[in-house]
Amino acid sequence: MSESPDIRTAGRRQTAALSIFLLIQTLGTVFFVGDVIGDLREDPGSAHFIFEAVVTAALVLGIIFGAFALRRTIELLRAQDQALAVARGALSDVIEGQFTAWALTPAERDVGLLALKGLDVAEIAELRGAAQGTVRAQLTRIYSKAGVSGRAQFAAFFVEDLLGAGVPSAEASTVKAG
Amino acid sequence: MATPRTLASTAVGASPSLWDPVVRLTHWGIAASVLTNAVLDEGGSLLHVSVGWIVMALLVLRLVWGVLGPAEARFSAFPPNPVTAVRHLRQLVAGRVRHYPSHNPAGALMAYAFWATLAVVTASGLYLTGGATPMQVAEEKAAVASGDWSALIAEGGGESSEEDKSLRHTVEEVHEVAANLLLLLAALHIAGVIVEGRVLRRSLVRPMLLGDVRRGK
Repeated sequence: MSESPDIRTAGRRQTAALSIFLLIQTLGTVFFVGDVIGDLREDPGSAHFIFEAVVTAALVLGIIFGAFALRRTIELLRAQDQALAVARGALSDVIEGQFTAWALTPAERDVGLLALKGLDVAEIAELRGAAQGTVRAQLTRIYSKAGVSGRAQFAAFFVEDLLGAGVPSAEASTVKAG
Repeated sequence: MATPRTLASTAVGASPSLWDPVVRLTHWGIAASVLTNAVLDEGGSLLHVSVGWIVMALLVLRLVWGVLGPAEARFSAFPPNPVTAVRHLRQLVAGRVRHYPSHNPAGALMAYAFWATLAVVTASGLYLTGGATPMQVAEEKAAVASGDWSALIAEGGGESSEEDKSLRHTVEEVHEVAANLLLLLAALHIAGVIVEGRVLRRSLVRPMLLGDVRRGK
């Protein structure tokens, strides 16, 4: 959970604002409807009443459309949330599968994952409570098992999947595990 | 989409019910309004009438939202069904409760009962004030305060018959009894939330206050 909260809080703010707007709109409409019903009892034929009735109808329609729009926004946000979760799950599935195909040891898997997340050697060493030399050696073994030249290519190996079409002559990747 | 989940799966991190802002606003708005009008202010006062109109708007919005809102806010997500409600209560006593994406069946019945009672309270309140909006009430009060008592006479209706008076008295009774029923239902609701929260081992208040709390990271 590092980058998505911004999008999520923005979405939440938007729905909250829309909801409050809808609430105020409903308040106004209910008062107005009450007023119109009062007028109806007094003088239903007057231009004043007809005008107010039209305005009230517009307000009621406004609530209905506002509610529709708000529902759509809420559902869209949830769908995005879900898609993001699915994408995350799918990417970690791909990574897991590829690590298995490369026959990485458990320790190498950990180091590989941390490297993919962008941690440098010192940070990985600190997290794992290992010497930097060990981590460097593990990374080198990972790169050689993966057949990549270094960290950049290692990371690109997975990003490439997400980019779809790709570059015309990219034959860098080995066979992907199914 | 979200199928009803068992308690076992909530432990794995499945989503507890989340409430959208409209549900939350109307819920707390109605709670505050009922409390204000039942306990804090005086019947017939300008504040009482205003809050009554506000609560009517909140109820209307919630009912509209029950048709147009997202899945778990719609009536179709929690149909009133006494049979499943009783079953749910029995499970609750046994300490094994299913997780529902919307209101649980007992809570659903409670919600419908509350809305119906609220409708009775507002309708009888409207009758008692002659449907006067807060603006009209304020105008009348100002007129009376400035010494113009004609407003009172017009409201009282010079030739009000015995029948009218007894009807008015009945409506007053209805208004009061229904208001007390609201407080009773609210107390039941709070008790239900506490018991259900204990059994489910998660806070049911947080989602209603803060909305989406699916992943508490």
